[in-house]
Amino acid sequence: MRLLRGPASAALLAALCIVQAGAADLATLMIGKPTDPDTLDPHVAQSNNSLTVTCKTYETLVRFAVVDGRATADVAPGLAQSWRVDPAGKVWDFTLAKQHRFSSGRFVDAAAVKFSFDRLLEIAKGPNEDYPAIASTEVLDEHTIRFTLAYPFAPFLASLASCAGEVVDPSVMSHAVDKDLGQGYLSAHSMGSGPYQVAEVEKGQQIVLEPNPYYFGAEPRIKRVVIKIIKEAAVRRLELEKGDLDLIEEVSPDQVDVLRGKPGIMVVDEPCFRQDYLSLNTKRPPLDHVLVRQALSYAVDYQGIINGVLLGKGKQMRGFIPEGFWGHDDRVMKYQYDPQRARALLAQAGAQHLKLSYLYAKADPTWETVGLVLQQNLADIGVTLDLREYAYSTMRDMVDRGDFDIAIGNYTPDFADPSQYLNYWVDSRLFGLAGNRAFYKNAEVDDLIRRAISLSDVGERTRLYQRAQSIAVAEAPYILLSQKNYDVAMRSNVHGYIYNPLLLQVFDFENMWKTP
Amino acid sequence: MSLLQILCRRLMLSILVVFGVLVVTFITSRLIPGDPARLMAGEHASQETVRHMRHVLGLDEPLPRQFAGYLARLARGDLGVSIRTERPVIEDLRRFFPATIELSIVALLFAVAAGLPLGVAAAVYRDGWIDQVVRTVSVAGISMPAFWLALLLLDFFYNWLGILPGTGRLDEGVAAPPFITGMFTVDALLAGQGRTMYSAVTHIALPAFTLGFVNLGIIMRQIRSAMIEVLQEDYIRTARAGGLSAARIVFGHALRNALIPSVTMLGLLFGDLLYGAVLTETIFAWPGMGNYVIQSIGFLDFPSIMGFALVASLAYVLLNLAVDLSYMMLDPQIREIG
Repeated sequence: MRLLRGPASAALLAALCIVQAGAADLATLMIGKPTDPDTLDPHVAQSNNSLTVTCKTYETLVRFAVVDGRATADVAPGLAQSWRVDPAGKVWDFTLAKQHRFSSGRFVDAAAVKFSFDRLLEIAKGPNEDYPAIASTEVLDEHTIRFTLAYPFAPFLASLASCAGEVVDPSVMSHAVDKDLGQGYLSAHSMGSGPYQVAEVEKGQQIVLEPNPYYFGAEPRIKRVVIKIIKEAAVRRLELEKGDLDLIEEVSPDQVDVLRGKPGIMVVDEPCFRQDYLSLNTKRPPLDHVLVRQALSYAVDYQGIINGVLLGKGKQMRGFIPEGFWGHDDRVMKYQYDPQRARALLAQAGAQHLKLSYLYAKADPTWETVGLVLQQNLADIGVTLDLREYAYSTMRDMVDRGDFDIAIGNYTPDFADPSQYLNYWVDSRLFGLAGNRAFYKNAEVDDLIRRAISLSDVGERTRLYQRAQSIAVAEAPYILLSQKNYDVAMRSNVHGYIYNPLLLQVFDFENMWKTP
Repeated sequence: MSLLQILCRRLMLSILVVFGVLVVTFITSRLIPGDPARLMAGEHASQETVRHMRHVLGLDEPLPRQFAGYLARLARGDLGVSIRTERPVIEDLRRFFPATIELSIVALLFAVAAGLPLGVAAAVYRDGWIDQVVRTVSVAGISMPAFWLALLLLDFFYNWLGILPGTGRLDEGVAAPPFITGMFTVDALLAGQGRTMYSAVTHIALPAFTLGFVNLGIIMRQIRSAMIEVLQEDYIRTARAGGLSAARIVFGHALRNALIPSVTMLGLLFGDLLYGAVLTETIFAWPGMGNYVIQSIGFLDFPSIMGFALVASLAYVLLNLAVDLSYMMLDPQIREIG
């Protein structure tokens, strides 16, 4: 008995004596993120998930202005203090502010900006698509860089605020291997002029940021940002409640209401520009018939999906351009749930006993449930819907080839310009994954949006986009489901958070602080 | 046949098995519809960008040439660069695989350390209270979903009692030990880093218990039934009649024979642990192979998938070899036959 009592009591004592190390101090911000960023190279990274790091370790020529603590779609100076454009809208000269320095200590000059955009266009792994019009870059002097465009491209200035336009220290070439332009190195390091630099990457576990000693702005109060990768939402929530995390991302709709009532926790639950939509394959019968597409658009119980699947964390879209985004049209037609009208339209189209398929993947946990609601909605108007689940990679391949009837998807724009919606979603030059997933073709719409993207007059652009939008919405190539909410939960002693509906998963650590 | 000959023959066969796995993985991963270049190029990528990426990734070459190129690089120890992470696959494997192995080993050690004596006790005191307890725990272990058990344990030990950490492999502020095996508990011990060792042990406790609990049930049941069978054998009755002590009969004669089928099961269980660690790794944010390979498959990251197939098949093959060798140690008859 004594023998047993010895080890048992020692184990008990040890268990009771365990003191958890690492209680976060006031200068350390602990973030809980569900997915590890694939790469930290801003010229390769595609997902918003990487932006948490890249947007704080690099700077862009211009940035989105913050007004009254909220990010806006207006452009403000960044690395460039001023700019001018020729009347044709093709030659852009940017004068750089002189004080910005990379974390290596090197000043950000025109040569660095040229190197960076040349690198982005040479790597050509996706982020370059934000700059289709750049024909050349030229260093005019140490602090002036010129971009010459192949054709007038109205969103050019706004596109420079996108994270793809982040400027990389040319010294990265000393880390280049096999002509990779330093991609391998930058996948886990940073070489930018942002307020922070990557101090440590433990793949699959955590990323640590520490201040860039040469940062142009005020010294951040948060001296260490630890981004912990915790896939399971319930565990992220547990660690937030316990105080081991200060802020968590991707709070599921069911957790928002639970966390909102907890002492010491605050929840940001704001509408964002992320949207859910259904592509109707307009090149495949019977969806090539506009009346059938309209019938389906009237058959969907939009509010039922928002209330039942998103638990009210979203709102039905009106047009392609979401509310709060410039170019949004409050007057464009919005389909309402009206099964009777849907049945009448189907009868008018002469369509009977329709059988359609719904293509989805488990990439988004709500897609299957949306499919089930849709199945019921369509059954009510006499349409049989077959739910087909594939791996996400296969689903994307099928969408690209047009091998579907109805496919679900979601979308977040890269920068604040209506071209991000209309010039992708309905341009007949971009069939498939590149943008127009409904394979929709309308010559008038093509003309309107192509003219709109080349003009600099905002009023005229808005008019053209609104006209194109009203035509496309009436022809219903897409069922525009919902504009979603973005939810972040944090400890209530965390201050300075600025919500940006465009740059989701980006936190202004340099302006944040903690109180006891 | 000598032990060395057996070993050589088995190793030759193992190389063939690993090669076969590589061939099958290569073909099946490429038969899946989907284009990694398209996936990586993002939402707006034009056909031109996708073509460029296919070329950069070498996906525009004929499949036999791609496979031959892969084997040639493999012969030089180069597993390629991950499409998704842009890092050499060998670096990723070096980081993630030891974490899964460490978790699986600790889970198995726990399951064996607890399951073996309890299984024996249940057989010896058949239908007694200890047997009832063992049967109940077995059923609970086998039927309880791992994710649910994990959340319960977290809530109790981390949230409520606050005596064990929540997620990860080490506490914030504790640096990883110098890389020797990649298993933090072992590396910290070898480096003599007490605080790191302590941190690593406290972090692995809950995930290893979760993962091991399922196997604990299986081991207890297996040992129990094997022991019950052996204890009814004639030679046991003879030993009892001969006046041998109960402890000698159980541990000296019965257990040794009951262990032979159990060793086979342990080999299979360890394989299952590697495979089944995915859920546990997810809940405890354990940076192991599970999440890595799932993300790689989702992105059709061929070099990573091939790298995983290689190390996983090597692990299985070596494990089987170890199981076969342990038979020979346990049973002289098998050693004789070879």
